[in-house]
Amino acid sequence: MKIIDFHTHLQTHWFDKPMITEAEFLAGMDRFGIETACIFTLMGFYGNCPAENDKLAAYACKHPKRLIPFATVDAKLGKPAVEELERCLSNPLFRGVKFHNWLQAFAPSMARETIIEVLRCAARHNVPVLFHDGTPPYSTTFQIATMARWVPEATIVLGHGGLGDYVYAAGQLLRDLPNLYVCFCGPKAGDLIYLVEAAGEDKVLFGSDFGFSDWRLLGDFLANVTGSGLPERVLENILIHNARRLLHLDQRPL
Amino acid sequence: MKIEFSIIDSHALLGEEYHLTLDADELLRRMDTHGVETAIARPMGAELAVLNREGNDRVLQAHKRIRGLVSVNPWYGPKALDELKRCRDLGAVGLFLHPSRQGFMPTDDHVRPLLDFASQANWPIMFHTGSYVQSDILAVGEVARKYPRLNFIAGWGGFTDMWFELPGVFAEVPNLHLDASMMWGNAISQIVRDRGAERVLFGSAEPRNRYGVALECLERAELTKEQLRAVLRDNARRLFRLP
Repeated sequence: MKIIDFHTHLQTHWFDKPMITEAEFLAGMDRFGIETACIFTLMGFYGNCPAENDKLAAYACKHPKRLIPFATVDAKLGKPAVEELERCLSNPLFRGVKFHNWLQAFAPSMARETIIEVLRCAARHNVPVLFHDGTPPYSTTFQIATMARWVPEATIVLGHGGLGDYVYAAGQLLRDLPNLYVCFCGPKAGDLIYLVEAAGEDKVLFGSDFGFSDWRLLGDFLANVTGSGLPERVLENILIHNARRLLHLDQRPL
Repeated sequence: MKIEFSIIDSHALLGEEYHLTLDADELLRRMDTHGVETAIARPMGAELAVLNREGNDRVLQAHKRIRGLVSVNPWYGPKALDELKRCRDLGAVGLFLHPSRQGFMPTDDHVRPLLDFASQANWPIMFHTGSYVQSDILAVGEVARKYPRLNFIAGWGGFTDMWFELPGVFAEVPNLHLDASMMWGNAISQIVRDRGAERVLFGSAEPRNRYGVALECLERAELTKEQLRAVLRDNARRLFRLP
């Protein structure tokens, strides 16, 4: 099975703590049959986004069939954030946008005008925008879903599917908002069955947060999907086809 | 993973809550499939928040292999204590409190009579942790410091976004234990490595999680046989005073 992991982090360190290496990252993917991973920054959430985006692009240049970089910008900066996003998305390597409002220290409503411009830019480039969700005070699932209403032409992805406390609400929001999708990354098998039922099997994608921790995390989060007992066809949609569709891989192969 | 001893699940849920539902027969079926001999089960949903007697009866009367981790809403005051006395007489093995669902802070004064009762009954206390505000794992740590002879269990281990508090609070509060039911393997193995296997309890969080997934997760944590025996059986026996 050629699985796509829609939520990973590839970074040499987090604060002063070393993270897994590029080689370990690729070996972890191989271990669990992950053909392609969408890679996000970690340190870019704390500043210096252009340099961190360039690092992600460099990884993708080395492994263009396996690593898909998502750009990050600092929405607090206003216009320069939109300009940085435009710079990244003009590079065909970048196929998506990642925000982590909690770590980036802004509520969407605090940077509303910039966020709307960012989402419009992403929509023009036809790429999805994935947000961390499930954590107050800046990344509640409701805060992310609200942005899907601001720019209906944008494709918004809940980065975690509600985590511990927002899963039921996530299902309701996914049902209500056609441009809202969910990356199942963190919640458990019983939650996945509900999210598929509420959102539809075409709106749920697999993600692992791999890179934030070693290969065991990838195995643990993959098991949350494969251990759900969902039919093979649904699992294939979650693990492969839905991500391919959102990334437009049939029209724009890697 | 080949397990040559009977497993005790320290945290299963019975009843209905949002999208989750599980009855005793289905829990037993899942236990049998995965070699789980005993499950410690607590109520959920309305039976956790307000209809405590119904929820407690559900877990106490489920089956001889399912032991009751009972709950009361502290806001019921003296009536809550009466309910705990009734549960003790019916064989309950511990107290479960969910600060977010039941609407209190772990450090609130009106929670203390329940903790005192648990102390007299020799029960461990599992607090739900991980939901922001009321279910702050550090608030549970504060309570545990005030009751150093009581065993506390961090239900769901701060899942998810209080995971970074685990190493600190487990270093500082020796009578706090980790319910591993919702945690990923590296978080579990870190507590085992740094604080000892006696601090960690296997749990399934059924029906939210699955036995197969939780056991697979432990397998990847690469614990020794002795550590696994402690996590999967012996610690639960000791804390819940099971035969």
